[in-house]
Amino acid sequence: MKELLIVEDDLEMQEFYKDMLQGEPFNITLAPNADEGLRKIKEGTYDMVILDILMEGITGDRLFALLRKESRYRNVPVIMASVLEENTYRCFQALGNVSFLEKPFNKEKLLSEITKRFESSR
Amino acid sequence: MFVSKKEIILNINKIIFSSLDIRDVYQTMSKEFLKVIDFDRLSVTLITENNDLYETFVLSKDYEHTQLKEGVLYPMEGSLMKRVVQFREPVIVQDTSKGRFLTDIILFGENIHSRLGFPLEYKGRIIGSVNFGSKRKEYYSKKHIDFLSKIAPQLAMAIENTRLFNKIKEAEEKYRTVIETSPDIIFECTKDGKFLLMSPSVENVTGYSLHQFYDNQGYGLSLCHREDQEQVQSEILQVLQGTNKSLLNLEFRVTHKEGYTVWLSLEVLPIIKENTIVGIEGFCRDITERKRLDELKDNLIRDVTHELKTPVAKIEMAIDMFQRSLLQENKHTSGRAYQINEILRNNIDRLKNVIKNILDISKLESGTEPLKLSDISLAELIELAINTMKDTADKKKNTIVYEVSPEIPFIKADRDKILHLLTHLIHNAIKFTEQGTVRISVKQLSHTVEITVEDTGKGLNKEICERIFDKFYKETPSAYGSGIGLAICKNIVQMHKGKIWAESEGKRKGSRFKVILPIHGEHLLVNT
Repeated sequence: MKELLIVEDDLEMQEFYKDMLQGEPFNITLAPNADEGLRKIKEGTYDMVILDILMEGITGDRLFALLRKESRYRNVPVIMASVLEENTYRCFQALGNVSFLEKPFNKEKLLSEITKRFESSR
Repeated sequence: MFVSKKEIILNINKIIFSSLDIRDVYQTMSKEFLKVIDFDRLSVTLITENNDLYETFVLSKDYEHTQLKEGVLYPMEGSLMKRVVQFREPVIVQDTSKGRFLTDIILFGENIHSRLGFPLEYKGRIIGSVNFGSKRKEYYSKKHIDFLSKIAPQLAMAIENTRLFNKIKEAEEKYRTVIETSPDIIFECTKDGKFLLMSPSVENVTGYSLHQFYDNQGYGLSLCHREDQEQVQSEILQVLQGTNKSLLNLEFRVTHKEGYTVWLSLEVLPIIKENTIVGIEGFCRDITERKRLDELKDNLIRDVTHELKTPVAKIEMAIDMFQRSLLQENKHTSGRAYQINEILRNNIDRLKNVIKNILDISKLESGTEPLKLSDISLAELIELAINTMKDTADKKKNTIVYEVSPEIPFIKADRDKILHLLTHLIHNAIKFTEQGTVRISVKQLSHTVEITVEDTGKGLNKEICERIFDKFYKETPSAYGSGIGLAICKNIVQMHKGKIWAESEGKRKGSRFKVILPIHGEHLLVNT
């Protein structure tokens, strides 16, 4: 089972994630903000992090940049999810092993993004 | 007598070239004149450049009770001056009581009874005259004229020199004032980064003192933010090496002495001496405030976007999940449920479209997003736009005809925005046409290309043609759409300095949308 950390401050969105990933071969852990997310990353081992971008406090893109600065997390696959357009965040592509998921998405879209990210990070 | 006159002429010549202050020259000169020509009033008058006014430039010190005062402009009409200029020769008035000139009457009132005006000619143009006035009648004669003809050319030259010198001095002072008071940083520097000129405003902008810039080579560059330093250096180097003719609006950051960041916009031109680039001159504008406002605008748009899109996204996701659970519970979902689902989906799409359009136009109008210019092929973009719309056109039994001659050049424009523009115009044409034809053509004019999207659909009347690009304007308020699409198109065209308009022969006679775009992105066309 792959370990997935989902950092998302919207409780309803958290429900969507849980619902969509139910029965899939992933163990999911939820964090309601970036601070909590960072703490969890440091405590555990995750195969992938899904980050909401616009959150209270530290935003998802900032958290992503912080992760990439530390060698331990330089290669953790990341998916950034947002209602905003992808090109707003195109610059983060350069930091590597990241893809962008535009909200809204359905189960198929989410699963295919996760699979694609795992495949290209192998 | 003759010898002494010659001496006086030499003397006067010496005096004329001894000083650049015309009043000094005048005072000493008038003393010398008195030795040869008796007068009670002596003046030098100068003509303004358009020849219709003259100014009493200098006047005898002891003659202050006159109406024709120093530094005042008088009309040429009716003056002795006018005649001197007209005939380019000296004029003598023997008796001002019988004089023909307006000025005779004035001077007669001041007890001047005879006059002599002698033209001052410089490089073929009469610039003014030197004028003598005497309390005695019939005082002036040919001998005075002979004497003056030996002095006048030098006097004219001296006056012109003084005027020129004063003009330069004035211009220099203006220039200095501009540099000293300008909030922009104006500078000149040599090839090795030594400042020859630096305006004092640099102290305000950077917090460092002026002499630090003068004393240290390349001091300006060392204040650049380290992420921008390399770019600033290489762009300036390109101007110095002549690979780039100038540098325009390079935005970069410097760190103020107090530690905060200041945004500057830099313009640089080479200083060329004898065909070699010896340095650069330019100016820097503090654009921190503009940057801050842009950031505020960007953040506001981003937050509003997030707030509008999030609930819609969640509704869409919820509908999707609801549909899935319906399907799981009952494989044969009732027609009613299917219908409700369709209504939900359609209206979510409609809402999404309106939100997208409103956000698009807000972004365009905020002006914070610069055009990403590249060489684009209109032929390719039109094909792309047509392809995404083929299904819709087929559904409405519309034929799309597309004529682009292969000679149409690439144009310098923002690819995404032009694609948006073309897509919208073609989409609109299809939307308002049933079982008809949508024709797209492009032709090249001299510096521009003209794109026409023409349909055989419902057409427009004249009033609508004029208002159709207004924001939120819809012919029928209940019609599907946000009423912003064409406002966005107009905005995109204007950003490209182009023109867009609509034509139609009237209702049910189809419509024609025309766009003119500059090929090189530099020929300004005004949108009316």
